[in-house]
Amino acid sequence: MDKYNFKKDVKQIWCPGCGLYSVFNSLIKVFSDIGWSNKDVSIVSGIGCTGRAAGYINVDSCHTTHGRALPVAEGLKLSRPELNVVVVSGDGDLMGIGGNHLLHTARRNTNIKVICNANSVYGMTGGQLSPQTPKGTKTVTTPEGSPYNPINMQGIISSNNDFFYARSAVFDPAHIQEMIKRSLSWNGFSFLEIISICPTNLGGKIGMTAADMIKRMKEDYHYQEKEGVLKTNELGFIHS
Amino acid sequence: MIVSGNEAITFGAIDAGATYMGGYPITPSSDIMLYWVRERKNNPNLLFLQTEDEISAIHSIIGAALGGRKSFTATSGPGFSLMQEGIGLAYAYRVPVVIVNAQRQGPSTGMPTLFSQDNILQTQWGTHGDHISIVFSPNSVQECYEMAIHSFNAACESRSPVILLSDGAISMLYETFERKHNIPISEFPIEPFGSETRHFTGLTNVNGVPDTKNAESYKKWISEITMPIVETSKKYNFYEYKKNSKSNTLLISFGFLSRVTEEWEKEFSLFRPIRLFPVLEDELLKISKDYENIILVEGNYRQYKMVLEATLKREIKEVSVVGGSIKPSDIYQEVKNLLK
Repeated sequence: MDKYNFKKDVKQIWCPGCGLYSVFNSLIKVFSDIGWSNKDVSIVSGIGCTGRAAGYINVDSCHTTHGRALPVAEGLKLSRPELNVVVVSGDGDLMGIGGNHLLHTARRNTNIKVICNANSVYGMTGGQLSPQTPKGTKTVTTPEGSPYNPINMQGIISSNNDFFYARSAVFDPAHIQEMIKRSLSWNGFSFLEIISICPTNLGGKIGMTAADMIKRMKEDYHYQEKEGVLKTNELGFIHS
Repeated sequence: MIVSGNEAITFGAIDAGATYMGGYPITPSSDIMLYWVRERKNNPNLLFLQTEDEISAIHSIIGAALGGRKSFTATSGPGFSLMQEGIGLAYAYRVPVVIVNAQRQGPSTGMPTLFSQDNILQTQWGTHGDHISIVFSPNSVQECYEMAIHSFNAACESRSPVILLSDGAISMLYETFERKHNIPISEFPIEPFGSETRHFTGLTNVNGVPDTKNAESYKKWISEITMPIVETSKKYNFYEYKKNSKSNTLLISFGFLSRVTEEWEKEFSLFRPIRLFPVLEDELLKISKDYENIILVEGNYRQYKMVLEATLKREIKEVSVVGGSIKPSDIYQEVKNLLK
């Protein structure tokens, strides 16, 4: 794993207890397990806390503008089909500002692997409502609780003729790693949504610690019971 | 053969070594995409993606450039506006890309099929932050071809986004054309992704490591981006000057409007900048000294006039040709009125 580890001179910015550690460590563990060299894979990220991940891993990588990781990744993948292109970003970046690109890159079934740290909040900017914020959740921009239903990524991705969608959660790194492996081995566009936490700018503002958030997540999500069927509160995968 | 400006630009891109185009339909630049698709039939190395919007187009060409390919997009006013943040990213990344902008009358949807030159300042200050771009403005179909090749060369040498600024009239103009040039082709300067362990970021950085709270790092970073552009531009001092020793008036125009003013060379001296930016400061300062009057004929209200006045530090008179209608007799009369 060392070969992928954080570049020594990079000071990383994630808060203690952030879900991103679990996501990121799982990712580099899988790269190592499957035997990829630093030159077999490139990481493209958007903007935000998750966006910084591209700069923390020792491969050719780029940190794009907000929401535009997918178009950069798509141009890169078309240009270098032999390269494994992995996009890592947050739910605000991929589903909010970058939502249009997600619809179309998924539809075109470009062989890009998307890993979404779905922490349900715009963390870096201070905890605003994101596309994944559950209805009723209080954020700094919805002090009375969000009046909106969260986006249904499983529904959007699985509406395509060709698709791979997986859901995991930061409390189970082994499951995350399994879902990353399944995503990487899928021949086509894949979307892995990792339910995550932001203890600073979501939890901290509604009186929940990281431990409280993980406890809630464990209550809310269960492992997939039946292959080929993925309920919205289940962790697992479906594909075309 | 007889081809359009758009077709000549496409040939220029191919002959400069471009192998990736990302584009979104918009009048009057869409034909470039169609010609590219036509050429792909015989050359499978030419990659193409019709993107979902212009934001995606500009970012996809940045991705393709990181993959080691000479890449470009073509658009017009509204699309050029949408691309601005991506242009800033290419600038910050120091990746060479070419953006063809066939201008049409704005603002907003404006007059989609008509000539304009109203994106002049946007090429420099459209993206946020201090920024400069090399900008070429051709005035014939043959020159569209040559400037397309120079655009890719300049982009590669400066490692920056270069703007090829056409307009509705030049892009749709059909003229005789020869697909021939003797311009040396510059190498693409970036090793493709997958060959090293680099990090590209739009954040202020030192060798790929973000350093976002240090003024000295910022100054070094922005200078490392900008200086190669300024240096590279010196190789491309393209202009046309027709001196008329009987005239005390210098008429300046560029792009399609210079095709109108060239008819009056027996009466005025004519200057046509082909490289609009960085401004041809030395040449303009030297030449303008010989004239009592300088009149700029441009397809917008005062944009290049502001640039020239700031450069020459003297008054420039202007004829604005706006709304897409070009009537040479009216322009001539306005020039004469300004000299009364």
